[in-house]
Amino acid sequence: MNDDRTTRLDRMRYTKNTASSRLALLAIVFDVLFFISLYKSDVDTYYYKAIIGGSIIYNLVFMLAAFLCSEGVKRYQKVYSWVLIVLGAIQVARIFILPMDAHRTMISGAPVMGDAQFIFVVICLALSAVCLLAAAAVNLKKCRELSAHLASLQA
Amino acid sequence: MAELQLQHLDKIYDNNVQAVYDFNLDVADGELIVLVGPSGCGKSTTLRMVAGLEDITRGHLLLDGRDITRAPAKDRDMAMVFQNYALYGHMTIYENMAFSLTLRKENPNVIHKKVMAAAEILDLTAQLNKKPAQLSGGQRQRVAMGRAIVRNPKVFLFDEPLSNLDAKLRGATRREILLLHKRLNATILYVTHDQTEALTLANRIVCMSMGHVQQIGTPLELYDSPDNTFVATFIGLPPMNMLDVVFEDGKLKGKGFEIPLEEEEKALLAPWNRKPVILGVRPEYIFEGGDLNLLVSTNENLGMNTLVHGTIADGVRVTAKFRSWTNYKNGDIVPVHFTRKLFFDPETTRAIRKEGK
Repeated sequence: MNDDRTTRLDRMRYTKNTASSRLALLAIVFDVLFFISLYKSDVDTYYYKAIIGGSIIYNLVFMLAAFLCSEGVKRYQKVYSWVLIVLGAIQVARIFILPMDAHRTMISGAPVMGDAQFIFVVICLALSAVCLLAAAAVNLKKCRELSAHLASLQA
Repeated sequence: MAELQLQHLDKIYDNNVQAVYDFNLDVADGELIVLVGPSGCGKSTTLRMVAGLEDITRGHLLLDGRDITRAPAKDRDMAMVFQNYALYGHMTIYENMAFSLTLRKENPNVIHKKVMAAAEILDLTAQLNKKPAQLSGGQRQRVAMGRAIVRNPKVFLFDEPLSNLDAKLRGATRREILLLHKRLNATILYVTHDQTEALTLANRIVCMSMGHVQQIGTPLELYDSPDNTFVATFIGLPPMNMLDVVFEDGKLKGKGFEIPLEEEEKALLAPWNRKPVILGVRPEYIFEGGDLNLLVSTNENLGMNTLVHGTIADGVRVTAKFRSWTNYKNGDIVPVHFTRKLFFDPETTRAIRKEGK
């Protein structure tokens, strides 16, 4: 058992952190599903606001940042875990901005965003956040294990 | 245990070109066999048939008694090392070495142990995180060998693995292959056109020409007792001198020269009395001093030896390898004599030997 653990740790010296990397990429996929669902809606003039422009720009920034982080965590770089945590927190916060507002706003007696669409986009953002936080947590754990293992090799 | 038997192998391509004729060979466990011959002689085709990369037209291939003639390459338990390394440029050395085991979905920890063990043997541990482009040719070839080692195959197949390396690296890598063979005690089939590789590496050599096996034997057997003129001239550098002579009155008579023979040699050539014979003499068996006059054309100093090229009598070309530093000039006449002589039948090109030898 102990030998297996040592081998697993030693393996990390030569293999990539694919688990964290793939989780970060999966977070991008959920974010894409979120904004596809959001932007295909066209209810009156609700979506013609500055906040939508900001949302579009943030999505682009998010995808780029998450992709760079997925490459960073692949190489066991701890700093990218902190970026992933920040991105995850923002994804959670986003639930309370556009989706919540669109769900509450009524136009011609009907909500801008129906219940089904609201639940879908909330799930997408939540899953995206979970993936980002999990990627960060896995990377932090592996970084700690790897540095301890490298220190033991040098000792 | 890994005993390989090649029985009456033929290879005929779809365009009816026959590349290999009736190839027979028994490879013992742990033996290193080198297939050697000029380009196009069928040595690589034979290796590819063994690997399963070419269909066998006729004959049987047995591995430890099991007929694998029609078995797909992946089920033959053999690993091949190619001339061009065939490494994946986007993968690290570790990933390249682990790749075949990853495809087989082996336990990652087991893969790791095998890769580390192979890297240790090949002195590649410090290179495992690098990409192939960051390594030298010799290191890349070692990675290719490592990829074969991790599979722990029954038979290793090497297809001209050193051809892409420069002379110095070739020598070093050749010694590494030799050490590797001793360490793993692996059964190896090795293809090369370089006779130095063949002579230094092989337990036995298979010399091929035009798809036919010319001779199978130990390096010394091929060097000292070639079966025919092809093997005699192919093995050895510079090649053996071949002189057209006639055996007459107990002497060999050529165009403007005569060579006296020992009693044993006369007895051997008795059936060829007054018949043409080919006399074979290796350059290192020509010594200064004697009845023959060598008219020097060029003198090549190699450090320990000197190659002296010239003619004896009426333009019969001869190369001598003297174990000293000489400074003969074009036009010098050097008296020489031959010591060890070999004789060949000009009709069949086969060696003339005592019966039973």
